[in-house]
Amino acid sequence: MESLLQHLERFSELVAVSRTTHVSTWDPATVRRALQWARYLRHVHSRFGRHVRIRTALERRLQKRWRQEGTSGSFPVPGLTNFQALGRCDLLLSLRLLKNRALGDAAYHYLLQQLFPGPGVPDADEEKLQGSLVRLARRSSAVHMLRFTGYGENSVLEDSVLKTQAELLLERLREVPKAEGEGPSRFLSALWDRLPQNNFLKVIAAALLLPPSSPRPQGEELELGTPKTPGQGGQELVRWLLAKSDVMAAFCQNLPVGLLTSVAGRHPELSRAYLGLLTDWGRLLRYDLEKGTWVGAEAQHVSWEELYGRFQSLCQAPPPLRDEVLTALESCKAQDGDFQVPGLSIWTDLLLALGRGSIVQLGEKKVLGLSPGPSSLWAVFCYYLYV
Amino acid sequence: MAQDSVGFSSDYQFWMQKLSVWDQASTLETQQDTCLHLPRFQEFLRQMYEVLKEMDSNTIIERFPTIGQLLAKTCWNPFILAFDESQKILIWCLCCLINKEPQNSEESKLNSWTRGLLSHILSAFRFDAKEVGLFTQGLGFAPADYCPGLLKNMVLSLVSELRENHLNGFNTQRRMVPEKIRFLSRVCIPLVTLPDIEPLVEALLIYHGHEPQEVLWPEFFDAVNEAFLLKKISLPISAVVCLWLRHLPSLEKATLHLFDKLISSERNFLRRIECFLKDSLLPEAACHPAIFRIVDEMFRYALLETDGAPEVLAAIQVFTRCFVEALEKKNKQLKFTFKTYFPYASPSLVMMLLQHPKEIPQELWHQPLKHISEMLREMVEDQTHGSYGGPFECWFLFIHFGGWVDIAAEQLVMSEADPPEALLWLLAFSYSPRDRSLQRAQTMVEVKVVLGHLKKLFRSPTLSAKDLQAAAAESQDRDPRPPLCQKLIRRLILNFLLWAPGGHVIAREVITLMAPTDELTHEMTGLLDQTLYRWDHLCMEAPKSRKLARELLEELRLASTAC
Repeated sequence: MESLLQHLERFSELVAVSRTTHVSTWDPATVRRALQWARYLRHVHSRFGRHVRIRTALERRLQKRWRQEGTSGSFPVPGLTNFQALGRCDLLLSLRLLKNRALGDAAYHYLLQQLFPGPGVPDADEEKLQGSLVRLARRSSAVHMLRFTGYGENSVLEDSVLKTQAELLLERLREVPKAEGEGPSRFLSALWDRLPQNNFLKVIAAALLLPPSSPRPQGEELELGTPKTPGQGGQELVRWLLAKSDVMAAFCQNLPVGLLTSVAGRHPELSRAYLGLLTDWGRLLRYDLEKGTWVGAEAQHVSWEELYGRFQSLCQAPPPLRDEVLTALESCKAQDGDFQVPGLSIWTDLLLALGRGSIVQLGEKKVLGLSPGPSSLWAVFCYYLYV
Repeated sequence: MAQDSVGFSSDYQFWMQKLSVWDQASTLETQQDTCLHLPRFQEFLRQMYEVLKEMDSNTIIERFPTIGQLLAKTCWNPFILAFDESQKILIWCLCCLINKEPQNSEESKLNSWTRGLLSHILSAFRFDAKEVGLFTQGLGFAPADYCPGLLKNMVLSLVSELRENHLNGFNTQRRMVPEKIRFLSRVCIPLVTLPDIEPLVEALLIYHGHEPQEVLWPEFFDAVNEAFLLKKISLPISAVVCLWLRHLPSLEKATLHLFDKLISSERNFLRRIECFLKDSLLPEAACHPAIFRIVDEMFRYALLETDGAPEVLAAIQVFTRCFVEALEKKNKQLKFTFKTYFPYASPSLVMMLLQHPKEIPQELWHQPLKHISEMLREMVEDQTHGSYGGPFECWFLFIHFGGWVDIAAEQLVMSEADPPEALLWLLAFSYSPRDRSLQRAQTMVEVKVVLGHLKKLFRSPTLSAKDLQAAAAESQDRDPRPPLCQKLIRRLILNFLLWAPGGHVIAREVITLMAPTDELTHEMTGLLDQTLYRWDHLCMEAPKSRKLARELLEELRLASTAC
């Protein structure tokens, strides 16, 4: 067992080196050994996939290594990050070497001979690797071609990219060891500090809207008894959002209104936090007697129109969210003194406005009347992101 | 060899020119032309690889100074890269250009340039999406890790958009405009054989817009049909039906493909024919009357072209059997009446023919036979029934359900009573539909005489081949029998051998006497195969006859393969 782990350790180093200029010292024999190693580990993957003890030990070592790399530099390098990745480690190594211009001509020539031996290959292993590389090329061509079907708006690609990112995020979240109590939230916070935040927020929303069991498809790779607990990653996300008030505020401020409503409809904890934020924002507005409208005391405060828009969207959501929102508004109104005339309490005014708005003016954005369900929620998500 | 290389050079010029025109296939015309040539171009790539792999990179450049241009243009055409195995062969070709130990800067340059192209083909993403890259990299994923997942999500997204269209028509928020669907169908042409795309291909086939004209490209249908026929993809029957209904050339091609398979398969093997037929999905698809009518029409042509070849007759029968079976499986209450499948036939006759003999007690089989015969005879002989077509139409309908003829022939041999007129007529008609009534009456007389002789021999304890030969012999004082009448009598003799208690003793001798030529051996083999096939389907309990038939069939098959 220990020797297997050492093998793994050293192969991880090799994979890390394969994208650096160090490979300029490699000769054909080095390439051969590296590929043999990769093949050996792929066999390990297919052999021990159902062997829980070995699998766990391997996985732990890989994750530890990956996290160490992550903390030392600003960005962890993609590589052998989990047991699944072991199943395609030869593909990963090959692609890196093929792309690395530092690899000498003789070594490169040898690499090509190994990877693309031409027709009629007797070796099943070689055929498999050649097949994977070629399939990857074909699939990326397919992605390239399908992305143009959006007719300029490119929406198919962007929707799918977000959804894919969301799936990847959940997959990683599931892997973070639960033993380290703060594990998932520390992991998310590290991502938040490092990654483009607007994109991250969209990915979070997409992840929160994914149907409960949407494990990432593994292509031709075997799904070897991965313990999948659907929805678990989503809960980690919710917990993290609730704990980080700045992220939650950014989440509610920056994402499209309809999208937030959908997320709130799916996650009651988040809907309560969202309502809390909305009431906070509402309390910052003052009634301008001259203009006869509610205005923000400061420029950065949320406007009446925006607040109204958000409540309107929430009130069009299916129950129980709609009822919850109305109850919250009523109770705010009662706290203010239960006024019935406009201009005294923003909650009275909002309720009056919604009383009209939610009944008559559904207008063209009436999309939330769709029957609730994962696919329609997803459609709503895509719609609000790109319309 | 010299000829070959001349051919290759001219091909090379041709494709070089094509690739220049196509450029990156960014216009409608170039895309269409590229799609049209994809299989041929792949074949050319294959040839080129065969040529290149024999040379080193210097010789290649010497022989084909413009090869770099040609390969680069190929690498930048997304349609080619997406098609079937083209990207693989292209990679092989590029590998031939790599020099193991470059001696000068020219060679190094070529190496570096080729490596660039290989990298381009193999890079998982050729689009600029820095944020995506940052995010996924931050999570520790390389593009190769999530490319399949991304493709799957794109396909699902397009499929759901298509479905929304399909279900809601004009009222959806994200409606796909017809131009987009049309475009999508073109993009899918090189991709149809990629398994990841299958749901999209299926959704496109099933999609029915509100447009008066077909929105999908005909080339898309061609590509899907081709891939389906070559078993490169599998599609659910609903999608296949849509394909054939929307694009008739595909249906015709599928039927011809089936005919090809039937022709090249071993003769007289109904089990295998049944497999081919079911495998083609045509009988199942024929539950849609429009498809049935076209396939049936093609069978009719095949029958006319071959002058009623027994193989075609057998194929029609098996096809009809599979079709009826599929129809019954599909819905107990028929969606379409039989009138829609056989519009020119008498509905009551069709209903009669459709009865499954298995569901009627054996001793009552003569009743439906009698009815069928009378109805047919009335239609054939009475000219006032013009609306059901002439004798040929009646016969063509009848032979779909040819099992009844076999039963009639069997009944005639086994029955103790005098042969009923109706059964004799039915046999004579089915064997020789073009005969006039006088000729037919003559055939009936001949058959009746032979049956009379056979009846006497049926229980004879001292049965000999000679006796049987004498029974079947033509009488000297009458006109010689027409060939079809002889054929009919051979069939009766065969039935006699299978059912008479002493038949098995003399069977081999009689068959040798009856089938002196290859053609006649084939005829016997066909009859035996057909008989066994029918008995299997009727679950006939006749162990002795069955055993004999099986043995005879095996011996005849062996004999025909030996010579």
